[in-house]
Amino acid sequence: MARNWFRITVVTLVLALALGAVATGQSPDRRVRELIMLTRPQAVDAREFEMARFLAPEFEKLGVKVTVRVMPWEQMADYVWYSRDKWDMTMWQMVGRPERSDPDEFAMNLFHSSTAVNGYNFVGYQNRTYDNIALAQRIKTDLKSRQQLIREAQKIIARDVPYVFLVFPQSTYAYNNTVWDPKTVIEQTGLGIKNFWTFDQARPLSGQQDMILNTNDTLQAINPLYISGAADSWVTELIWDRLFRVGADGLPRPWAAEKADWVDSVTLDVTLRRGMKWHDGKPVTADDVIFSFTAPMGDEVPMYKPFVRNIDKIEKRSDTVIRFVLKEPYAPFLIASLSKLNIIPKHIWEPVLADLAKKPENAESYQEATPIGSGPFKFVQWKKSEEVVLEAVPDHFAAPKMKRWILRIIPNVEASLGGLRQGQLNFLGNYSGDPEILDKLVKENRSLTLVSTMDVGMRFLAFNLRRPPFDDVVFRQALNMATNKKAIRSVVWKGYAAIADSFVSPALEFWYNPELPKWEYNIRAARDALAKAGYTWDREGRLLYPAGKTETLK
Amino acid sequence: MKRATFILSRLGQTLLVLLVVATLLFLIFRLMPGNPLVAYLDPTFTEEMAQQLRRQFGLDQPLHTQYFAFLRNVIRGQFGNSFFTREPVNQVIWNVLPNTLVLTLASLILAYIVGVLGGALLAARRGSWVEHWGIPTVLATRAAPEFWVGMLALAIFSFSLNWFPFGGATSPGSVFPSMWAQILSLDFLHHLALPAFTLALYLQGLPTLLMRNSMLEVMDEDFITFARMRGLPERTIILRHAARNALLPVVTAFALGIGYSIGGNVIIETVFSWPGLGRTLVRAVAAKDYPVAQAAFLMIAVVMIGMNFVADLFYSLLDPRVSHERR
Repeated sequence: MARNWFRITVVTLVLALALGAVATGQSPDRRVRELIMLTRPQAVDAREFEMARFLAPEFEKLGVKVTVRVMPWEQMADYVWYSRDKWDMTMWQMVGRPERSDPDEFAMNLFHSSTAVNGYNFVGYQNRTYDNIALAQRIKTDLKSRQQLIREAQKIIARDVPYVFLVFPQSTYAYNNTVWDPKTVIEQTGLGIKNFWTFDQARPLSGQQDMILNTNDTLQAINPLYISGAADSWVTELIWDRLFRVGADGLPRPWAAEKADWVDSVTLDVTLRRGMKWHDGKPVTADDVIFSFTAPMGDEVPMYKPFVRNIDKIEKRSDTVIRFVLKEPYAPFLIASLSKLNIIPKHIWEPVLADLAKKPENAESYQEATPIGSGPFKFVQWKKSEEVVLEAVPDHFAAPKMKRWILRIIPNVEASLGGLRQGQLNFLGNYSGDPEILDKLVKENRSLTLVSTMDVGMRFLAFNLRRPPFDDVVFRQALNMATNKKAIRSVVWKGYAAIADSFVSPALEFWYNPELPKWEYNIRAARDALAKAGYTWDREGRLLYPAGKTETLK
Repeated sequence: MKRATFILSRLGQTLLVLLVVATLLFLIFRLMPGNPLVAYLDPTFTEEMAQQLRRQFGLDQPLHTQYFAFLRNVIRGQFGNSFFTREPVNQVIWNVLPNTLVLTLASLILAYIVGVLGGALLAARRGSWVEHWGIPTVLATRAAPEFWVGMLALAIFSFSLNWFPFGGATSPGSVFPSMWAQILSLDFLHHLALPAFTLALYLQGLPTLLMRNSMLEVMDEDFITFARMRGLPERTIILRHAARNALLPVVTAFALGIGYSIGGNVIIETVFSWPGLGRTLVRAVAAKDYPVAQAAFLMIAVVMIGMNFVADLFYSLLDPRVSHERR
């Protein structure tokens, strides 16, 4: 009997205490809910995962509860892209590509409000002033004023914090300096030494005339009308010429075009280089070039359609002069269109496209048995999952110095280091492992040279601006201040990265804005900023919304 | 006659099982979270392109329409085009299947020859030093992670001794007139050696231990004692009488082993950069390449079920006591 009374007393006491806590504590609906941070699995991208694990406890110092949720990329991207109201924040990355040496693609597609509904502005950033600047920089053909606009755009983004920019990683590649003349291995701004110019110009020093390099991923297609995997583009760049190419300095330079002259702000006359030949021996004509730019205007080449959308018409002025007339002025035209589209032989693709027009498939499904381009290398063979072999075209206007270019598909990263050391590979075209191991290997082997270059691609944390608390710029700024970028750089990246504060890489000196507001790591300042904006904390230290603000989620 | 009925009823069961497998495969990939379109996400990717891709892949159709289209195509041996490489699926699989079969069958046969002989030896030398050292060795090689053994093999035989290449199925840039010419070339064998031995080392544990246990059981039976009483030489007893009878479970394991090997071995293929089906399959699953994943798994199921069937038939040949009559 006494025991029963004791039990009842204890239960009552516990209940009373619990109720009291709720009654005297702040109303729970003002509490900022648990926030979910998405990242890819450690096995897929160890650094991204580590960065997420690093960020979460820092954010918790502000009184929010953050849970890191790991998802495979296909699931995470699907969720972020197609459930735009559902997620809180996600780790994300943009990779470096030659045409991204122009800031237009990022400035426009990542943050312009028109892409918020179903485009790449998946964070849902909306800012009229920004929209106007992003559009204005496109039509300013005067470099200086365009530079000013791009720098202004970066300032707005740095202040509004739709992303917490984390790092610009270093692209690190290595090669055998007894096989390749170091003077002819070219470092491209924001991309590193694995680029078109190195492949075209590297001069062999010994009997080994073939460049043997690795990639860790299988190729999808070798198709001039299909933008497929990353390694695929290394191959298409070599087989097909383009009117312009992005130079080692990141600026467009004439390639298959001898020159290009702006007649007015929407009219460009391009003069085609003479004497070019397709790999099947036929001459490259102005008609081929016109065909290459009109084909994507139809429905059979969807991936290249955005790059010709602004072209109003193309006229043949003579056998070598082609006139492009744009719908509206477009400053990045040389880099975003002329350096992007492959020039393809009309005699091969015209019948193919005509045939495809009658079928459900489009040009992306068409794989030539022997791809024919006019580039410095011609196709020899493609053993699926194993290798791609290209051969130098000796009578190309920029004939390569090497004999063959052999891309081996090596999914085993550690083995590719062994292969490099021992000579079975002579160019390390892909390395996703620990940079310190590579560094050590190169220091121990005098025949190896390592080149590390700051990337134009970046790593960041993206917020869903559609959802509270991320709809509040103060909250986003506070999270930015709670991000210890220096520690991320040195612990996660072991120093092989630069701290990021913009969507433009400092590697692009001309475009990068060096005077951006700096958000130094400072938890106290972050908490002060939140307090100033009306946020408070409850007894357990959990962050509460300012009075009057409630969490409404769709 | 009885055998014919048995075969027919088994065939009927097999077809039913395959239908269930096909249905499950169809559903599994579509119910898994994720979306094949995300492979195309890019700042320049538009909703218009997404629509077009969905249409092309047939993903704009309701699920049941997709399902019946899938079944219709499977019956005709058509699996559609890969979402990823846009090639016909049959071609995607055919590109790598020969490499996989050569690798897995070579190591399987090697493992079973070594395993059967080694198992018989372990049983015959029961209690001797052969068993004391043999069994831990077999267990250790069976338990050692394949990627670790593979990396060790690479470090020693490729990177230090330079005897074997470190990856791929052929030398960089080598051209062969046909797939057969490639598979029969010395260059191919040279590339095959390391992965095949590594895989065989892993595979031999099962037949060795199975054979040993089975042998020990058989050795206790009356007919062996009788053979001994007849004064037959020990070698004849072990090989002619005991081993033959002990082989039954090993044959089943071998038949199933062939079934398993069709799917390739992802770990070995990755460590040695071997262009095989295992890698293709993992990639297809990861990238939500439904057509390739469905076709490859269905093919594996067909072979597995087929091999079970074959193993059943073999039993009756090896051991007449196994009958197909219903009891």
